[in-house]
Amino acid sequence: MRRPPLSRLVALLAAMLVALGTIFVRLTVLQVSQAASLRALALEQRLRTVELPAVRGEIVDRNGEPLAISLEARDVYADPRYVRDPWATAAVLAPMLGRDRAELADLLREDTSFVYLARQVDLDVADRIAARGLPGIGSLPSSRRSYPAGPLAAQVLGFVGVDGVGLAGLELAYEEELSGIPGERTQEIDPLGQPIAGGIDIERPPVPGATIVTTIDRDLQYQAQRALEEHVRANRARGGTVIVLDVRTGDVLAMATYPWFDPNRFTEASAETYRNRAVTDAFEPGSTNKVITAAAAVDRGAVGLRQVFAVPWELRVGGYTIHDAHPHGVLPMTLGDIVAESSNIGSILVAQRVGAPAMAAYLDRFGLGRPTGVGFPGESPGILPPPYAWTGSSLATISYGQGVAATPLQMAAVYAAIANDGRWVQPRLVRGIRDPRTGFEPAPPPRTRRAVAPETAEVISRMLAYAVEAGTGQRAAVPGYQVAGKTGTARIPAPGGNGYLRGQYIASFIGFLPASEPRVVIAAILDRPTTDYGGIAAAPLFQEVARAAIARLAIQPARPLPPPPTAGDGP
Amino acid sequence: MDLVAGRVVPAERRPIRHLDPVLVLVSVALVSVGLLLIYSATHRSLAAIGEDPGFYLKRQATFAALGVVLALLVASVDYRFLKVYAGMIYLGAVVLLVLVRTPLGTAVKGSQRWFELFGFQLTPSEVAKIALIVMLATFLSELRRSTGELALPHVYSATAIAGLPALLVFLQPDLGTSIVLASILVGMLVVAGARGRHLAVLGLTGLVLVVAALQTGLVREYQLERVRALFDPANVDASALWNRQQAEIAIGSGGLTGLGYLRGSQTNLDFVPEQHTDFIFTVAGEEFGFVGSVTLLLLFALLLWRALRISALAKDPFGTYVAAGIASMFAIQMFVNIGMTIGIMPITGITLPFISYGGSSLLTNAVAVGLLLNIHMRRFI
Repeated sequence: MRRPPLSRLVALLAAMLVALGTIFVRLTVLQVSQAASLRALALEQRLRTVELPAVRGEIVDRNGEPLAISLEARDVYADPRYVRDPWATAAVLAPMLGRDRAELADLLREDTSFVYLARQVDLDVADRIAARGLPGIGSLPSSRRSYPAGPLAAQVLGFVGVDGVGLAGLELAYEEELSGIPGERTQEIDPLGQPIAGGIDIERPPVPGATIVTTIDRDLQYQAQRALEEHVRANRARGGTVIVLDVRTGDVLAMATYPWFDPNRFTEASAETYRNRAVTDAFEPGSTNKVITAAAAVDRGAVGLRQVFAVPWELRVGGYTIHDAHPHGVLPMTLGDIVAESSNIGSILVAQRVGAPAMAAYLDRFGLGRPTGVGFPGESPGILPPPYAWTGSSLATISYGQGVAATPLQMAAVYAAIANDGRWVQPRLVRGIRDPRTGFEPAPPPRTRRAVAPETAEVISRMLAYAVEAGTGQRAAVPGYQVAGKTGTARIPAPGGNGYLRGQYIASFIGFLPASEPRVVIAAILDRPTTDYGGIAAAPLFQEVARAAIARLAIQPARPLPPPPTAGDGP
Repeated sequence: MDLVAGRVVPAERRPIRHLDPVLVLVSVALVSVGLLLIYSATHRSLAAIGEDPGFYLKRQATFAALGVVLALLVASVDYRFLKVYAGMIYLGAVVLLVLVRTPLGTAVKGSQRWFELFGFQLTPSEVAKIALIVMLATFLSELRRSTGELALPHVYSATAIAGLPALLVFLQPDLGTSIVLASILVGMLVVAGARGRHLAVLGLTGLVLVVAALQTGLVREYQLERVRALFDPANVDASALWNRQQAEIAIGSGGLTGLGYLRGSQTNLDFVPEQHTDFIFTVAGEEFGFVGSVTLLLLFALLLWRALRISALAKDPFGTYVAAGIASMFAIQMFVNIGMTIGIMPITGITLPFISYGGSSLLTNAVAVGLLLNIHMRRFI
């Protein structure tokens, strides 16, 4: 038995020193040369930044009444890395979130660190989920858009998508102002995703969105919608539009399109109802356009007020034969008679005195063929063929409102220009923006331009008042007030551009009151009523909205305007 | 007068006079550091679930006290008696390793087997380490040989002695402990004078066995993943990589001087798994930094040096081999354990001697220190 050589112990010692040395070298690398980057990595994996959504601004009516508001809600999400049992977790969440269990379980198994389980969940639901303390499940502050008055001004307001972005209407047009600036919160979290008490917690608070103060009067809007719905039903029309404009400011006090929808549940409604037809859809105005023909003739001095036209019941123009609505012999008519009786042939005779170039100029001055600039997404400019494209019959048809198309708002603005002493005012839907930081900022004053001379405007007003008193618009009359306005019964171009639909009309009445000191312009338009005529179908709707406006705006009666010269006056 | 192995010794040669104070101090220092680190690794999680934050600390302290008693007991009886009982101890350990695989044993996650005894856990693989050291030392010291070199048949025999428990442990499966047992064999063969050639063949055989085990699917998938995490980090399951990364981040973010005791965020926030047992070195690395971890490394260096010194000073070859085996055991456990936390070794369930939480492990180390003290004390008689 010999003692083992000492050299072997030295060898073992050497091996151990190599091991210790290796560890030492590696520690030097980790704790000296890589220390800073590893420390940064350690911090980074403890930090989580979440966006703090800004509260979306409200949309209110001209008096501050809420039309669209944001309610506090929660977005429930999962970090699937920390979800221990997806199937069991899904079983707990499914009834609370009202989602399918298998669908939730699939989300919880996704290979990601963040997935939404439900958006815009009620606060109490989110609280109940939080109380369960499910690993990997959390919620973020969110908000839900609410329209307290339901379908009130629905197409004007538009709606907001699931991620809180405006998709239509003013919600879309003023997205930037409404959305505000999101904040940010950076927190130190533990591996289970819970914030660490006393850890890093930096918060940049969100800046809430601004309030959009519209020109809409909530009460008047409600009355207008009620009347519109009633008259659409009574006349079995496909739909309709009502606009109430403030004559001086161009403020849209009410703008309604039927059928409408409830923006709180817009997904359940037909996308057809989303369109704010008052602004986005052009129609051939028909006889309401005669006001431009008459105004051009008077303003140009092309036709004398007492000048009597011999008006036959039909006329051949540019290869077409054009009729008046009802057969009649050759009638003596002044301009006032032509407007009051809404004679197509008379309008053509007048327009021929004005001439095509001047007619085109006045159509442009009254704003046809270009958007009003009301500030609504998707506004239509209407259709006005440029003068060089006019055919032999264009001047004739445009004179009574066919072969030209305009939006209801454009036509309302035409009448507002007459009511406003011949000055056209750009209509507007927004009075101003109330920013939580900088206060109320009024919208820039609306653009205006002279369409016709004040004298012309007054003469046309007299004719329009006469049309209501003695002509086609008698059903628009409001007792105690002098109403000025014009009926329209327009044919509807057939789809495909081939002629007009047979026996289907857009009935309209556009007017203002009181005739001598106008406060409001009201446009009432019904799409394809079974009663056909503007004077029968649309004038009563105008009258009902006018009564509501008189009550709501406390409009006082004013001195009546004298009637225009008529053929019955004698030579 | 004292009775040592049946002999009467004069007072000036009484063993207690030759206690190794450095080894005692190093062992106490290591255990104390372990208690500090265990508290840091566990207090927050315990408090979070409403338990006593000192629960693990107190349990480990109890084991430490038990360890002192056990070490003193082991040191007090002449180690040479062990030669007589070596065979029985070895057989007993093998029987325990077999029994633990029967319903008598308890298992968690399909591995890490132990016996439940009076509320404590007896882990046979820990017993097997000491048993193997004693058995091999007995075998090697009893060989009749003329030269300093070890003949091939003896290498075979020694390998067979180590192979049996190593295989049983491997089947548990506990890859870590089988590596420790193999390393004990290699360390003791080196000291016993095995030829370089033979050691090389042994090493090759071991390598072939490991490869064969991998090929035949004897190694569990999670173990493979852990190996791949080291050599091929791009192609592994995220959790294996996660453990390794979190350990490295913890140690690295300690920097030069550490974040301060109980202030390590990786440690406090449970980013590192099994931090009071296998990954306890990360606590030292994060909270005490480079200075702290190198100091700990120096304590281990001191421990290994004392063990090898005792091996050299031993009165007889048996003592030399026992001490060398213990030194090998400490060295391989330290290297593999620290190595896996700093990304140079695959992750295997090997504890850091004296530091990691766990009664069986601590008591095994106490017995080992007791043996070392025993050999040192009796180097003149």
